[in-house]
Amino acid sequence: MEQKLRDEAKALLEQGKVDYIIGFEPGSLKFTTTPLITSNPDDIDRLVINPFIVNNLSKFLIEIEGRVGIVAKGCDSRSIVSLIQDNKVNRDKVIILGVPCPGMISLNKVELLAGKSRDEIDDITRDGGKIVITVDGKKKDFPVTEVLYDNCLGCELPTPQEYDVLLGEDSALVTDRAASRKKIEELEAMSPEQRWNFWKEEFSRCIRCYACRNVCPACFCERCFVEEAEPRWISPVPQWQDNLLFQTVRNIHVAGRCTDCGGCERVCPANIPLRALTREMYDIVDDLFHYQAGTDKDASPLLTAYELVETEDTFR
Amino acid sequence: MSEPQLVGFLCKWCSYAGADLAGTSRKKYPANIRIIKVPCSGRVDPLFILKALRLGFDGVLVSGCHPGECHYQTGNYRARRRIAITKKFLKYMGIEPQRLQASWVSASEGGKFAEVVTEVTKDLKEVGPNQLFTDERQGNGTKAA
Repeated sequence: MEQKLRDEAKALLEQGKVDYIIGFEPGSLKFTTTPLITSNPDDIDRLVINPFIVNNLSKFLIEIEGRVGIVAKGCDSRSIVSLIQDNKVNRDKVIILGVPCPGMISLNKVELLAGKSRDEIDDITRDGGKIVITVDGKKKDFPVTEVLYDNCLGCELPTPQEYDVLLGEDSALVTDRAASRKKIEELEAMSPEQRWNFWKEEFSRCIRCYACRNVCPACFCERCFVEEAEPRWISPVPQWQDNLLFQTVRNIHVAGRCTDCGGCERVCPANIPLRALTREMYDIVDDLFHYQAGTDKDASPLLTAYELVETEDTFR
Repeated sequence: MSEPQLVGFLCKWCSYAGADLAGTSRKKYPANIRIIKVPCSGRVDPLFILKALRLGFDGVLVSGCHPGECHYQTGNYRARRRIAITKKFLKYMGIEPQRLQASWVSASEGGKFAEVVTEVTKDLKEVGPNQLFTDERQGNGTKAA
C-alpha cells in the first residue's frame, strides 16, 4: 500500500496534476507520524502508511491554495466531503488518495497493555486481528481491538467512500459500537447533576489552548466566537464555566460536520474525554435526522437543510 | 422561593408582535420574561442560549413563526433543527431540558403567547433556580457525588 501511494503521489506531482501532496512521514518521536506537505517529488519517498497515521489531514485543505493530492482514511475522507458540502473545498482541485483504514493504534493503550513506556518498546506490529508488541526481544500478542482508538471501534465507514485512487482492498475493520460508546453509557447512567459535575471536574483542567478547535476540520470559522471582543462571549481566562460553555457551543456548532474522527480528544493536553461529547452529538444527529456527516457530497449541510415536518415535539 | 428569570428571544415578525398583542388585549402573563427582539428565530445561535444560562437566567424561550410562515422562508425550519439538537445535547450534559423552551407564536396569537409564558414560568418554578454555573449545584433529584 505504501509503495502504491508513493508511485501515485510521485506521478501526480511529476505530471503536474497537483501542486502539493499532503500525507504522513515518520515523526520525531518513536512510532509517531507527522504530516508531510510537499511539492517536491524527491520528498515522496518519506511518505508512510502505518497504524499510527492518526491525524485528520483534511484541515489543511481549507488553507492550502492550488490543487492538492491528499492521503485520507475513512473518517478523513468524510471530513473532506463535509468540507465540500460547505463549499470550503473544491472537489475538482482535490485528488483523494484513499487508505482503507484497518483502525488506528493508540500508543497510550499499547503502553498500558505492555506496562512499558513507548521508548522501552522495541516494536509494534500488526498481524491481522492481532497486535504484536516486542519488549526486550520478547514478543507478546494481544487482540487488536484492545489497542485501537475508541473512535475506530465505533467507525462505520473505515474504507473511504469518496476517493480518486483507492490504495488497497476494502478494510476488514471489525467494530464494536458498545465499546466505542462506553464512556457515554457510563455518563447516561448517572443523574443529571452527576453528569454536570463530571464535566465541571473535567473542564476545570482545561487550559483553553484551543487545540481541539484548531485540529478540527469541522471548525473552520475565520473568526471564532471565543475571540470576539465585543460582545465578549467568554472570558479569556480559563475557568471551568467558560471552558464548558466553549466546548458545549463548539459541539453544537459542528453538529452534522463532526465525523467522530477523534482528533480533538487525541490532541487534548488535559486528557478531557471530548469524544464523549462529539460521539453523543454524532448519534443525536443520526437519531433525529438520519444524517451521517460526510457521506454524501451533494447533500445540503445538516443545519441548512430541513424537512417540512420533523421534530414536532420541540416547539410548543 | 425567588421568581424565575426567563429570557425570551422573539422573532420580530411574529412572536414579538404576538407579545405586543397580548399586552394591548390586556392578557395577563407572568412578568418573569425579559424579551430580546431578534430578526428571525433562525438568528438564535445556541451560543445565546448557553450565554443566558451562564449569566444566571433560569430559562430561555425561543419563539418564532409557525412552520411555513417564516418571513425569510426557511429561518424557522433551521431554528427547529438547531433547537432540537441543542435541547438533546444540553440534556445529555446534565442541564434540565426545561431550561430551553421553544414555541411557535404568530402575530395574531396574543393569547397563546400569554399561555406559553405562563407554562414556561411554571416549568421553571418546578425545576428551581439555575445553579449550573455556580460552584455548588444543588439538585432536585439525586445529590451530586
